[in-house]
Amino acid sequence: MEGILTNLAVGFGQVFQPVNFLMLVIGIILGLLVAVLPGLTLVMGVVLALPFTYSMDVIPAIILLTAMYVSGTYAGAWTSILFRVPGEPMDVPLLWDGYAMARKGQAAYALGWTLLSALFGGLVAATVMVLLAQPIARIALTFSTPEYFAILFFGLASVVSLGGSSLANALISLFFGLLIATVGVDDTYGAPRFTFGVQILSDGIDYLVVMVGAYGLGEVFMRLEQGFKSAPLEAVDSIRTRLPQLREVLARKGTFLRSSVIGIIIGLVPGAGATVASFLSYGVEGQYGKRWREMGNGIPEGIIAPQTAATASVGGAIVPLVTLGIPGSGATAIILGAFLLHGLQPGPQVFAASSNIVYSMFASVFVGIIVMCVIGYFAMKPMVRVLEFPEVIVSAYVMMLCLLGAFAARNNVTDVWLMVIFGIVGYLFERFKFPITPLVLGVILGPLAESSFMTTMISYGNDWTEFFTRPISGPIMAAAILTLLFPAIRHLRHEYSQRRIAAKGRGT
Amino acid sequence: MATDARLTEALPYAIVGAAAGYLYYAAAHFQYHARTGTLGPDFWPQAILVLTIVVCLYEVIKIAVRGAHTHDVVGVLEDMVKESANKHAAAEPDAAPVESHPVLLLLGIGVTLLYVAAVQKLGFFLTTVTYLIVFMLIGRYRRWGVIAAVSLIGTLLLMFIFMKLVYVSLPIGVEPFSQVTFFLMQVMGIR
Repeated sequence: MEGILTNLAVGFGQVFQPVNFLMLVIGIILGLLVAVLPGLTLVMGVVLALPFTYSMDVIPAIILLTAMYVSGTYAGAWTSILFRVPGEPMDVPLLWDGYAMARKGQAAYALGWTLLSALFGGLVAATVMVLLAQPIARIALTFSTPEYFAILFFGLASVVSLGGSSLANALISLFFGLLIATVGVDDTYGAPRFTFGVQILSDGIDYLVVMVGAYGLGEVFMRLEQGFKSAPLEAVDSIRTRLPQLREVLARKGTFLRSSVIGIIIGLVPGAGATVASFLSYGVEGQYGKRWREMGNGIPEGIIAPQTAATASVGGAIVPLVTLGIPGSGATAIILGAFLLHGLQPGPQVFAASSNIVYSMFASVFVGIIVMCVIGYFAMKPMVRVLEFPEVIVSAYVMMLCLLGAFAARNNVTDVWLMVIFGIVGYLFERFKFPITPLVLGVILGPLAESSFMTTMISYGNDWTEFFTRPISGPIMAAAILTLLFPAIRHLRHEYSQRRIAAKGRGT
Repeated sequence: MATDARLTEALPYAIVGAAAGYLYYAAAHFQYHARTGTLGPDFWPQAILVLTIVVCLYEVIKIAVRGAHTHDVVGVLEDMVKESANKHAAAEPDAAPVESHPVLLLLGIGVTLLYVAAVQKLGFFLTTVTYLIVFMLIGRYRRWGVIAAVSLIGTLLLMFIFMKLVYVSLPIGVEPFSQVTFFLMQVMGIR
């Protein structure tokens, strides 16, 4: 415990260094703007910020991206409550009670609950993140390649089976990502794979190019096809925040705690994330909360539950990223990308060897949440005004930053060509409802998964049962297979019950 | 009509499956020196491709047997999120019908490809200003003053940030276009 506190103190020291603190403030402001700006999503925002970190040291780079991730879960609530425009899918549950409160003339009060929820959820999750990370990393240090492969398999399986729309599409997306990761000269044999005689493909396809193209360009192409049509904004009397009183907060402590726990747990699970946390927490409050009957009619519990869980999911999601090297969401995948750009592979080794970087990241979550709330309290009015900014201009600059980001990675125009191709692929994925996150995670985690698999096979004489018979990897592999099968079992049960209802209907 | 719908829905899977089949063939012809008793570099990609083909085949057969628009097996949490959202659908803003402008999309992709093709010849500044203007016009924005200001100032700002602060050597272009870049670099104090 003492070691954790010492490391955290060092982390705080790093965060308060002038350059790092400046990056944190910039990251918070950018994250808030990204959540409000039309045509920009949190993941896209973090992707676009990545090229600016190329020449930075690793600590300010990680602080900038983490700060964006933290604040990106907050500002969308403002536009949900004030204008009935959810900035991100995670902000949709805030419409149900937040906007209802605004219509009753309690917009400032609703915004006060949002701020407090983000603050509470964020800080509780950050504390749990710090407490959990070191023990998990210590356990992970004892892992061998079969355990690593099992964990990666579990992470990818849960990304596919928990999120996404169709399970088949999510699987195809993941396989495509894993396949892209195999392009280039193989490390063990030096054999060129899928290079088709093209020299640049021998170096492989940079995950950055895939990430920037699929998330950034793909989304803009989709919006361009839809004609950049934004909904007109409703008129609002005043934009300010009124904080609730302490006794009001204490009366709802159960909701705060419940929602924080849900947010942290959902954040820990690869493939879930802030949107799922927000919806699930609202659903739980609607079933088990003290005022469950009034949910949806404009009560604070309907704001506390989704906002607390959404911000708490950030702390949860950082744990598997830094301890196991598994990003569970799009935003954490990009933060992992920033680590890799600086030659660091997140996981227990980095935790042990570069604890200053990890604890600076942790400290930046604590400081970031407080700075985010202060900025949110005082600067909300000018920030929500950016919602009036024409989407086409934002999109033109998103395109530009994507093109620049791909070029700046290796100063190579071929990467830009590849990025545009992946932009078109991203558009096609969106168009045909294939999720993009499994593709990106496949590209990033593919090399690690392959090397863990191949090393295990070489070490254990091609005996694949090794993955299932070892005391740690066995249960993880079983859990991964169950995770993959669960949606199909659920689907079959649903179909069976539908058929029974239909048969009963015909019988009566 | 029903056959058309089935064909439209099955086509992406058939294409992906066929592409995976071709790549499997390509993987089977990787050149390497095999080591006895050790898996080769083709094993991992081939395993992925077999799984891809299996999923695609399953989808094609499912669509052929059960018809288009059958209820898919979906992600568990996503399903729960949808259920929750449906309960409160009335509280959400009425979704405007989604418009489709394939011409805008094709123009957008075309101009982006042209940008990549031209940037090394014309240089970053000239290509970017032109690209931003054209992209905003394709996006049906017509406030000329704003378009000109946003394109010019934005490009100069990007040039300054990337060349002066992030140390990225952006394309300067070939003669005579490079003269424009050199002039701007001199004005901004970029070496």
